[in-house]
Amino acid sequence: MKRSIFLVFASPSIVVMILLMAIPLIMALWLSMQFMTFTNVLEPQWVGFRNYVDVLEDAQFWQSFEFTIVYIAVVVPSWIVIGFIMALLLDQQSGLLRGFYLSIYLLPFIIVPIVGTIMFRQLFEPSGVLRWLYQEIFNQRFHYTEQSVKTLVLFHGVWYVTPFTLVVYFAGLQTLPQDLLEAAGIDGASRLQKIRYIVIPHVRSLTLFILLFSIMDSYRVFDSVYVLTELNPIYKAHTVMTYTFQTSMRLQRLGKANAMAVLTVIGIMVVLIPNLYYTWKEQLAER
Amino acid sequence: MDRVTSPWGRILIQIVLILFAIYSIVPFLWTALQSIKTVRDANSRRPKFIFSPTAENYQDLWLRSTPENPEALAFFLLLALVLLVSILLFAQYIPGRRTLIYSLTTLGFAALLWGIPQLLDTDRFYDFFLNTLIVTVGTIMISISIGCLAGYALARYVGVMGVILLLAALAFRALPRFAYVLPYYWIGSWLNLLDSRILVIITLVAVNQPFTIWMLRSFFMEVPKDLEESAMVDGANRLTSFLQVIVPVAWPGIISTALFTLLLAYNEFLLVRVLTQTNWTLPVAISRFTGGEDPRHLTLAAAASVSATIPIIVVILFFQKHLVKGLAAGAVKG
Repeated sequence: MKRSIFLVFASPSIVVMILLMAIPLIMALWLSMQFMTFTNVLEPQWVGFRNYVDVLEDAQFWQSFEFTIVYIAVVVPSWIVIGFIMALLLDQQSGLLRGFYLSIYLLPFIIVPIVGTIMFRQLFEPSGVLRWLYQEIFNQRFHYTEQSVKTLVLFHGVWYVTPFTLVVYFAGLQTLPQDLLEAAGIDGASRLQKIRYIVIPHVRSLTLFILLFSIMDSYRVFDSVYVLTELNPIYKAHTVMTYTFQTSMRLQRLGKANAMAVLTVIGIMVVLIPNLYYTWKEQLAER
Repeated sequence: MDRVTSPWGRILIQIVLILFAIYSIVPFLWTALQSIKTVRDANSRRPKFIFSPTAENYQDLWLRSTPENPEALAFFLLLALVLLVSILLFAQYIPGRRTLIYSLTTLGFAALLWGIPQLLDTDRFYDFFLNTLIVTVGTIMISISIGCLAGYALARYVGVMGVILLLAALAFRALPRFAYVLPYYWIGSWLNLLDSRILVIITLVAVNQPFTIWMLRSFFMEVPKDLEESAMVDGANRLTSFLQVIVPVAWPGIISTALFTLLLAYNEFLLVRVLTQTNWTLPVAISRFTGGEDPRHLTLAAAASVSATIPIIVVILFFQKHLVKGLAAGAVKG
């Protein structure tokens, strides 16, 4: 395909991405240096880097950053480990039941995240069945405290994205090198050895992919935290995203919120740049 | 992998699979149960498993007043729905032009959606539902049309510029919504478009475009190159050969991508929450039911959650293969 034809075909998409992604990103940089509330959106006041200083001196921002890191550290490894184990087990199942299990496992990932979180929360409402079970088993009341709300946020995070890694690994298991497995079987390799020396190396590139994307995605977790904490500062369970939301929509400090967004973008670069480098290499090798 | 053969091993695997299924589905079952309880039953401290079911929460959610003859109306609406769905299902057996049948059923659905508020005194939740449909369908149409062109171009062009576009898309995909949402708010108030569907659709197209072109590209890569080359030898130009030869072959992949676009648009919360004040879509409307002192919120949230989930479950039942395929292809690059 010639370059001119490429440009003609890709131009609508490129125009959309320049107008609504590249330019807004530059605007975010500009907005982050303004003092702006909802009353002066169109006549903001230039304040330079004051917003950044504000953010970096804001203890609550650092607290939310810390919780975001905790969230990533707990949730991402759980997705990978549970997803991989469940994919191995599901692979043992054949026939109709396999599709049936897969449909059920996919549910938490497919439904609207806000709705999924509300459903999850219903279990722990004062009349919820899990709250009741908790009280029956441990014989103490279940309260929404900093500890329990944070645990719920983490637990929910594990619950709703594991299906994604499960399906990705499951698809990966369908392309295992059969001859290698057979040869290993003839040599008397045990099941664990086969998993260790054939399956895990086979899914290594998938794991790298999942790792990079799930770190980036969990860094911007928002919907579930919004529902579970209702942005109540008592629980100290703000993530960077919900705190940015709080700053912009509730406190009306739009400039400061933009500064946070810009800092978040810089934070994501840590994972994004290796990812871009890896993709660049891979793409050049493909051509 | 080869199968575990020992009976104890098989039983153990089965138990774990079932436990994981329960773990995945419990919130759904519990919420569905809560949604058909009376407010009093639902708020009881001791969970009730035996109760007389009621439809009043759904009625509260969707309707402003009780219709005079609910049974007849429900029967009529269900009949219309079943008729339209069965036409769609068995379209291939009906003689006549396929496009004509599909456009007529689409018109039928539109007429049904338009007719319901004429027959029933619907509440705002119905408006939010319609809004969601319009936003979702609009986003899919625009996003897939321009995404197909770009995805195809990226699959066939080997120059460095293609790589740069792919990398730019990957970078855009990784950035947090907030880097865009507040500038969008600014653009919206500048163009006086806040609270309009068109702004929501255009911005949804934009934020999903990176994902869409990556996914469509991976599907177009699977289409053999000789196909369009032979079409072009026959005198067709790039665009005609693309539309008439490539698109039909890549159609299943396009459906998979459209399905993910559907989910992304249907699920979007933050963008809609910031850009609209009244023209909400379902996720924003439902989030209003969380918390608060009103005891009715619990059952209303349950009924709203179930109502918003049913369309998605229908979609999964029809398109499970496409969905799994899409997830596996998405694994190539989210």
